[in-house]
Amino acid sequence: MHILLTLLGKDFANLRRNRGALVLTFVVPMVIIYIVGLVFGLGRSDNGPSGIPFAVVNQSDNPAAQKLVAALQAEKSFRVITTCANPDKTTRALSEADLRPMIRDRKFSYALVIPPDVVSDERLGLHLKFLSDPRNDIESQMVNGLLQKTIFSNVPQLLGQALQARAKKFLGSPKLSQFNHGIASTVAQAFGGDPAVIERDMQQGNFGLDALGSGSAATGGKGEPAGGDIFSKLVKIDAEQVVGKDVKSPAATRIVGGYAVMFLLFALSNASAAFFDEKNSGVFQRVLSTPVTRAQLLWSRFLYGVLFGLGQLMALFFAGHLLYGVDVFGHLGNLILVCASVAAACTGFGMLLSAVTRSPDAARSLATLLVITMSACGGAWFPISLMPDFMQHIAHFTIVYWAIEGFGAVLWAGNSLVQLLPILGVLLGTTAVVMTIAIWRFNRSAIFE
Amino acid sequence: MLNIQAVTKRYGTLTALEGVSLQVETGEFFGLLGPNGAGKSTLMSLVAGLRPADAGTLTLDGAELRSAAGRLALGLVPQHIALYQELSAEQNLRIFGQLYGLRGAVLRERVDEALAAVQLADRRKDPVKNFSGGMQRRLNLVAALLHRPKLLLCDEPTVGVDPQSRNAIFEYLERLNRGGLTIIYSTHYMEEATRLCSRIGVIDHGRILAEGTLDELLTRLPFEEEIRFAAGAPTETLTAALAGQGNLETVDGVHRFQPRADYRLSSFYTLTESLGLPARLFTSQRPTLEALFLHLTGRTIRE
Repeated sequence: MHILLTLLGKDFANLRRNRGALVLTFVVPMVIIYIVGLVFGLGRSDNGPSGIPFAVVNQSDNPAAQKLVAALQAEKSFRVITTCANPDKTTRALSEADLRPMIRDRKFSYALVIPPDVVSDERLGLHLKFLSDPRNDIESQMVNGLLQKTIFSNVPQLLGQALQARAKKFLGSPKLSQFNHGIASTVAQAFGGDPAVIERDMQQGNFGLDALGSGSAATGGKGEPAGGDIFSKLVKIDAEQVVGKDVKSPAATRIVGGYAVMFLLFALSNASAAFFDEKNSGVFQRVLSTPVTRAQLLWSRFLYGVLFGLGQLMALFFAGHLLYGVDVFGHLGNLILVCASVAAACTGFGMLLSAVTRSPDAARSLATLLVITMSACGGAWFPISLMPDFMQHIAHFTIVYWAIEGFGAVLWAGNSLVQLLPILGVLLGTTAVVMTIAIWRFNRSAIFE
Repeated sequence: MLNIQAVTKRYGTLTALEGVSLQVETGEFFGLLGPNGAGKSTLMSLVAGLRPADAGTLTLDGAELRSAAGRLALGLVPQHIALYQELSAEQNLRIFGQLYGLRGAVLRERVDEALAAVQLADRRKDPVKNFSGGMQRRLNLVAALLHRPKLLLCDEPTVGVDPQSRNAIFEYLERLNRGGLTIIYSTHYMEEATRLCSRIGVIDHGRILAEGTLDELLTRLPFEEEIRFAAGAPTETLTAALAGQGNLETVDGVHRFQPRADYRLSSFYTLTESLGLPARLFTSQRPTLEALFLHLTGRTIRE
């Protein structure tokens, strides 16, 4: 028994001294649980997506259309955009012509146009136009579902008006008035109420369809409304995919980039932790005793990381091409540029880890923690719109987010080099900042001692 | 050749070297002898240009050691096996040769020579990780010689090496030194310093305590011979009789009698004979570096 306790004590003593193992054992899972919990609404008063940019152009003077805009503005999942800036910094109302270029420029991914004929005697139900860049599939499904829910919940009056208009077309105005009058009298006799008020409500399209709305709050698991078929009959939406409609393999194009950058970060973090192995084996000292300078050593390591990362990313995209038909060759030049920029930023990140830690174990543990956190927050696993606002802000400070933006811009949107410049600028700027800090830290760290 | 003047190096509050001054001349085999933590590796790393001194100067033939020219003039054999384990012996040598500026036919020739010199030519394509410890040590050594340096720095190059490989390394280093290569060899093994080095610096707590040839160093001792005998009952009367005749110390259960300069050895053996102690109990030997270190520091080199 004593021997057993001694051996047990030895294992716990080792674990206590191994901070890396402790981080991997306790901190990393906790961080993942926390992030995934937030995504699925745990511990949040505002569970569900929030702040998805959603442009609305209302071309109708129907009061119920105004009500629909107000309802969309009240929906916390959306950040409704109705204006845009002029070159002189003044603002004006968005027009339909503004929407497509702005979607292509990633100002927002979804837009709703309420046309003048939102209610028409030409068709049964409403007519709306929905423009989208469904770069993120999960987010797109959620937006569709939320839009349907909002229409059902808040503007059933529009549906009633549409029915009235349609009936007027077929019956003629006198016969419809007669019909409404008869129905109102019958309802009043059977259920009570003022027949004049009931008739006025009917003429305004208010058939008590609000009850549909209260029931439709319960949406299906995939964002489909409970009465999907009814919806499609009552609301005609002209859907237009503004960006990515020519993408050959949408699902694979969406997911390959996020996972590729996550594994690249892991690989490069491990490679950078190998710095310590070289130091401990004395190879560093031997190399530095030759006419090689520290700067040459660090930059050669950086270049290796960039080429390694470029190779890994391109291999993964080629695998995506072979397995799922991701269109790599149609955008090869720009894809190489983005991959190289992502690889540079990831290499800088790995080198910074080596510079701020004191052992390979510490570097690997910190890398695991940060890579997983960055991947989760940066949108590699879930759309960032599913996360609380503060995490959406954090996302913009992660390499993963900008890498996914870059891959999407090339493979999904087919952006030109000029259009890619802002993303490349962020990635290369990040590289410059991170490498500057890393080199500064390296020159003061124990790794060269 | 190598001139070290008043060099000081600190790590935070720890002073690793303090006011160290040394001169090593061309063709010397200079030993740096001291226990672990004495400052040997720190001094070697300063000479190798790996880190700057906090004070003092280090020059090689008048040139700054941290300059490119200074680095090209020396080769470093680190304490650890500083090789890329996954790569082959030949690949390792090619890489280090290239870092020293060797290219093309010259590089090929030097790599071939080096592999032949350490009997690894037939294993040139094997990964280093598959080599025995002794083979790795030999390769570790020869990797520092590809560019034909003027000065070779060997930082405890035989740590963990079996006696046979150690001997092979000694012979190779002696051959190199006979060929004119200047060598600085740090060690905590007195036998190595005694066998190899033409001049020795004894270092402890970051200071050079003594420096010179073996003979010069040993003359610092106040005795010329040391007689050793086992401590215990049979020799108790002898130890009492030796009081005042010299220095008597006991290390690891062995008495070490270092007689006064005017004490005759014949007197010692007359005394033991009179006490009925057989001569086989005693060994007389020339003082060693160990005795010198004990004399200089008051402790053995292993402490």
